[in-house]
Amino acid sequence: MGKVYQLSDAIAKFVKSGDHIAFGGFTTNRKPYAAAYEILRQGQKDFIVEAGPAGGDWDMLIGAGRVKAYINCYTANSGFTNVARRFRKAIEKGEMLFEDYSQDGSILMFHAASLGLPYVPVRFMLGSGLQDEWGISEEERKKIDKLPNEKFIIQDNPFNPGEKIMLLPVPKLDTAIIHVQIASPDGTCRILGDEFHDVDIAVAAKHTIVTCEELVSNEEIRRDPNLNTIPGFVVDAVVHAPYGAHPSQCYDYYDYDRDFLKEYDKASKTDEDFNKFLDEWAYGVKSHEEYLNKLGAVRLINNKVVPGLGFHRDMTKEGK
Amino acid sequence: MDYTKSEMQAATIAHMIGPGQVVIVGTGLPLVGAIMAKKSVQPSCTLIVESGLMDFNPTEIPRSVSDLRSMAHCAEALPPYRYLGFQANELLKGSKRLIGFIGGAAVDPYGNVSATCIGDYYHPKVRFPGSGGANGIASFVNTIIIMPHEKRRFVSSMSYMTSPGWVGESGRAGTGLPENRGPLAVVSDLGVMRFDERTHRMYLAGYYPSGSPEEVQANTGFDIDVSRAAVLPEPDEDEIRLIKKIDPNRIYLLK
Repeated sequence: MGKVYQLSDAIAKFVKSGDHIAFGGFTTNRKPYAAAYEILRQGQKDFIVEAGPAGGDWDMLIGAGRVKAYINCYTANSGFTNVARRFRKAIEKGEMLFEDYSQDGSILMFHAASLGLPYVPVRFMLGSGLQDEWGISEEERKKIDKLPNEKFIIQDNPFNPGEKIMLLPVPKLDTAIIHVQIASPDGTCRILGDEFHDVDIAVAAKHTIVTCEELVSNEEIRRDPNLNTIPGFVVDAVVHAPYGAHPSQCYDYYDYDRDFLKEYDKASKTDEDFNKFLDEWAYGVKSHEEYLNKLGAVRLINNKVVPGLGFHRDMTKEGK
Repeated sequence: MDYTKSEMQAATIAHMIGPGQVVIVGTGLPLVGAIMAKKSVQPSCTLIVESGLMDFNPTEIPRSVSDLRSMAHCAEALPPYRYLGFQANELLKGSKRLIGFIGGAAVDPYGNVSATCIGDYYHPKVRFPGSGGANGIASFVNTIIIMPHEKRRFVSSMSYMTSPGWVGESGRAGTGLPENRGPLAVVSDLGVMRFDERTHRMYLAGYYPSGSPEEVQANTGFDIDVSRAAVLPEPDEDEIRLIKKIDPNRIYLLK
């Protein structure tokens, strides 16, 4: 069975309500937005979310009421919205179960999952609010079979008695969704620039969906295997979705869309404006292709990375 | 000479970076200060960020720790777990070259920082993005804390400590955290605070020429010893010019 899917088919087949799910990317960089919009359109909900360094991707799904339990370490469109506004509101109003780990914790939990380790012993989070407070109590955790009963366990280091260590549980992810620059029909992926935690969640999850800027042949991607980052056999679906990380950045391809991120910052301030934003950009378009057409060709071209700089700058204004 | 408080703060930050130091820096004024150090006052330093970008030296100021402005101008783009391993190994090796800049919503007299919420954790008055990498940095690395100098931010106690400082008067003993790491200083828009070696309590070490020790006490929500305070040096014209050039659109420098 082939792995190349239309976005809507991939999401319908591999994303279920109630899934324990993680997205790749880092705040405003290489976030799988096209997939997030498609989930919004299709209606899946009740997610147990391992958010990692999140941004507008999870903020939109929180705002649309799709999250049952949110495992947070950081949620912001850094430099545009310094605290994701729907995330903040959902916690301040008591509308969502949430847990806090340090980012170090989340990253190591993803990596341990990819290595098949049973838990991660660490020496941070000790002596802080991250140790003292459990966003999701043991009682509440027992009602959610996707979450371990304990946020962590503190023990003596068996090799160094007297040294306190914190054991972090390893998530058992149902679904990982990542956006990469280049993939081939058999699922082989090439991530350019920093991989973040994307490889870890792709390897660890039961199902992995990859959206890509470019779908190249299996032969072409094998011409230099040193550049490849994920083997095809851990990938379930490959979706060709150019600009699928918009409005976040994509190394070697495009910069963040400042105006769009500013528009989201403003729109996410109130329920009314947020819902209007979703009506316009998620529910009001049928597909990723329609979203791109709505954005417009020139707008996308004007975000292209300039060779040598690695980000966008209007070169027609240089050297005048 | 014409300069703003935040330009003074950025210059002060740049001068706190020592030769050969490896500097963990996120966004905000520390990033302006660290770029200034790299480009001018301390070029032997190395800048790294928690997303995994090692030895970066951007030509345009980044808005986030994962920004292409750092990623396309670094020596290596490592997966974040390698950054974590590096941070932990510096501690295990006893190396003292690592220094980390962290911020937050509030700081207490022992340099503990809150970056998660104000008020009750479960029903907060104000919720913030969460720890990010700051808890790990505060746990393993000597830190410099950046904080706007306001009474509501320099607080006598906090409901939720995200990033541990010296914890309390007896320091970090009993917490499980390394006892020989902790906050070195707090840099605000009024001056530089350090921590008493014996009591671990914050005191005013230096204030900017535009202000005074009295102004620092008036904007601090607890009693602070100002008897050891000295006036800090002004940045020179070249330094101010460089700072303005690093952040020309004033993303982080206040207008």
